[in-house]
Amino acid sequence: MPIVFACATSHAPGMTAWPEAAPNDQAEKILGSYRKLGEMLAASKPDTLVAITVEHWANFFLNHMPPFCIGRAGHYEGPIEEWLRIPKARVPGDAKLSAELLRACLDNGFDPTFSDELLFDHATMLPLHFLNPNMAVPVVPVIINTLTPPMPTPRRCFAFGQFLGRELEGSEKRVAVIATGGLSHWPGEAKHGKINIPFDRKFLNTLVSGDRAKLTAYSHEEINLEAGSGGHEIRTWMALAGALPGWTAELLAYEPVVPWATGCALVAFHRS
Amino acid sequence: MSLYQLQKLIYHVNRDPSHRERFRQDPAEFVKGYELTEEEKSAAVNVDVRKLYVLGVHSLLLRPFTLSHKISNEDYAKALAGLE
Repeated sequence: MPIVFACATSHAPGMTAWPEAAPNDQAEKILGSYRKLGEMLAASKPDTLVAITVEHWANFFLNHMPPFCIGRAGHYEGPIEEWLRIPKARVPGDAKLSAELLRACLDNGFDPTFSDELLFDHATMLPLHFLNPNMAVPVVPVIINTLTPPMPTPRRCFAFGQFLGRELEGSEKRVAVIATGGLSHWPGEAKHGKINIPFDRKFLNTLVSGDRAKLTAYSHEEINLEAGSGGHEIRTWMALAGALPGWTAELLAYEPVVPWATGCALVAFHRS
Repeated sequence: MSLYQLQKLIYHVNRDPSHRERFRQDPAEFVKGYELTEEEKSAAVNVDVRKLYVLGVHSLLLRPFTLSHKISNEDYAKALAGLE
């Protein structure tokens, strides 16, 4: 079966931890779009959900930081944050699909690490909370190091996504793919709360225009300067764009939500 | 200066409920498990936001650590005021 659903979403923890801090209209646009994507995902009846997500020190530390890691567990636990206001859950995995992806990667020039035990923090739990209520659909997490340099380049993330997309299109299962992170934010820094609206708008316009070369032309330094330490998470969006050649991106919402300290965007992808 | 050890301590407290509980119960005892300077020990024990930030703790370790110790967004911002 082909990929049956795809979306990319921001995951600012304030969306659930302090939703009331945001102006009502902004919160409703973002959370309403999340609910809409949840309905679209459910209607696509996926067997498995592949989550292209990021590391936030929930699993890996500086003793070992993989550029890419595919979870291969039978289940995952999260969130690790007590303050997130998302109930703790055991999220089912799809170890069989994980193993198939890993084998295919290693046979074809990609060398992600694997993990049979991963914890989920807000990066993964927040999107799942909206998109996979009751954790009914098993999840395969694909983690990209967007946390601490050196990180995989935008082009490498795109190429990795291209490969995953080809594999998933050939899977026996109906697969939903989500990417999560970004856009511009400086989480926990002295600049916390800064949002670069022109950067975010340009990135989204490029994504929607379908210009994949331009999408991956960002340098690490440019992202760091313009989109902040949290902006590196747009690599997950690049990987997803790689997985979806010929699909079009539909911007459901973009809001620079200052109390959530993040340029928040939600995008649905449609097969054209 | 043992930033690696200081960050490792916070990583453990953030991700592991048993470490978190031990830190909350007796932070002075908990920090003995890490090779820290006196300044680092004191910053961790007192959850001193500004000091931990200046010592170089990664912001995505520091903010969750301080959130789990009930430091509000306003107080966090106040603690970092004037820093780059």
